[in-house]
Amino acid sequence: MCESNVYLNRGGREELLMERVDRIIPAEDGSIFLESVFGERRVIKARIVEMELVRHRILLEETPEAVVTQRIQELWLEPATDHGHFHEGEEVILRIFKGYNMKPGEGLSGDGLEAFAVADGVSRAVPVQEHQGSMEINLGQEADGLLQVYVREQGEHELYGKVVLEIGHHHHHGLQALGLPLEIVPAGYSHARLGENYEFQVLAAGEPVAGLEVKATYAGTHHREHPHRLRTDDNGRARIFLTARGNYLFSVTHNNVTSTFTLVKSF
Amino acid sequence: MCKDMSPLEKAIQFHGHVCPGLLMGVRVAEFAMHRLGVSADVNEELLAVVETDSCGVDAIQAILGCTFGKGNLIFKDYGKNVYTIASRENGQAIRVAQKFRNSRTPQSQRYRELVCKGPLTEAEAAEKEELIALLFEQLMSTPFEELFEWKEIDFEFPPKAGIFNTIQCTRCGEGVIDIKATETARGPVCPGCLAENGGR
Repeated sequence: MCESNVYLNRGGREELLMERVDRIIPAEDGSIFLESVFGERRVIKARIVEMELVRHRILLEETPEAVVTQRIQELWLEPATDHGHFHEGEEVILRIFKGYNMKPGEGLSGDGLEAFAVADGVSRAVPVQEHQGSMEINLGQEADGLLQVYVREQGEHELYGKVVLEIGHHHHHGLQALGLPLEIVPAGYSHARLGENYEFQVLAAGEPVAGLEVKATYAGTHHREHPHRLRTDDNGRARIFLTARGNYLFSVTHNNVTSTFTLVKSF
Repeated sequence: MCKDMSPLEKAIQFHGHVCPGLLMGVRVAEFAMHRLGVSADVNEELLAVVETDSCGVDAIQAILGCTFGKGNLIFKDYGKNVYTIASRENGQAIRVAQKFRNSRTPQSQRYRELVCKGPLTEAEAAEKEELIALLFEQLMSTPFEELFEWKEIDFEFPPKAGIFNTIQCTRCGEGVIDIKATETARGPVCPGCLAENGGR
């Protein structure tokens, strides 16, 4: 491994700025260009404080005009239960978040948000509402089975967030893609378990997307950036070994669309 | 909890966090179940003799059901990652010993440094999280024989855990099982009072 993690000293605290950086170019204007092995690029107004090459660690310090380039926002859904699934007769509620790396930003409103629930190939629009300062979807009671729900925000850069909900237990079967412009589809829906591989496929308008970077994160991560970067194979498939206890969020960006899939751990 | 948890999840739930030691215990417990053809213990059909009191023992308790309280977990304070798992039902027993490695990988060395360090910076917490994820995948996907040596052994099963009478310590007044009390001039004394006060 020749690349290094780059940390930023921000107000006396070191924060991980970018992982596995293999190219650093200081510019005359005091900014530094960073590029990772994953192709992520960033320009920051900072100076190099320390390089520990044995530990693959480079420390930067902000200069007063430090500006981190804009990160593409993500839209995602999480079920309002820590149980991971719902039971027939329960109220099925989902929370909508907008932010980055599973860390919600501020000021998400319902303007421009549309949500849909899909069961057995039939899609229906569902209302998005504000509840106690956050945006949510209340589906009421749902029938036993698997339900796919997605939310979208249209604009110059479209955002999609999708989740698979289990109502009841033991609904382990494949799922149909919804036909979103960009979509992450689990390879086979089953109880995702810690310490096992989880596979999915990325489709754009129904076709596999090869060589696309998939960012993955999970609830409670200390990383400022997504802890995992995967890349789809020729069939648009990618796989991850699950090591965190909480829910995972997968995110892809392609042709001005960013689409997420929330993998819910169910107990 | 209305779905069955995997053995790994049971162990993490019981232990509280993921660490390399716990994962090694998970590997031993899963191997023992497979090798002995048994499932988790209900009523002392299984017996575990552990030669360590480190994290891996929690996986043995959570997955195999050989627990301290049930009496089918026997602790030998040898400081060795060695586990003997025996089945009363089929009379089989295996002894599993973690292979000795002279040096640690840079990742496990760094992980230990961070575990032993006091409060971590945000960057260090992220680094530790990354390292445990890396070690997690390594330890769970490495072939068992690369991590452990094991063999079938002849095992002399001890009697099942006994149930004893409780008597009153004449010094502190608390109850103590009769086999642990020492008879003194003033009557039975519990080990604690004996250690603090002798036979007085």
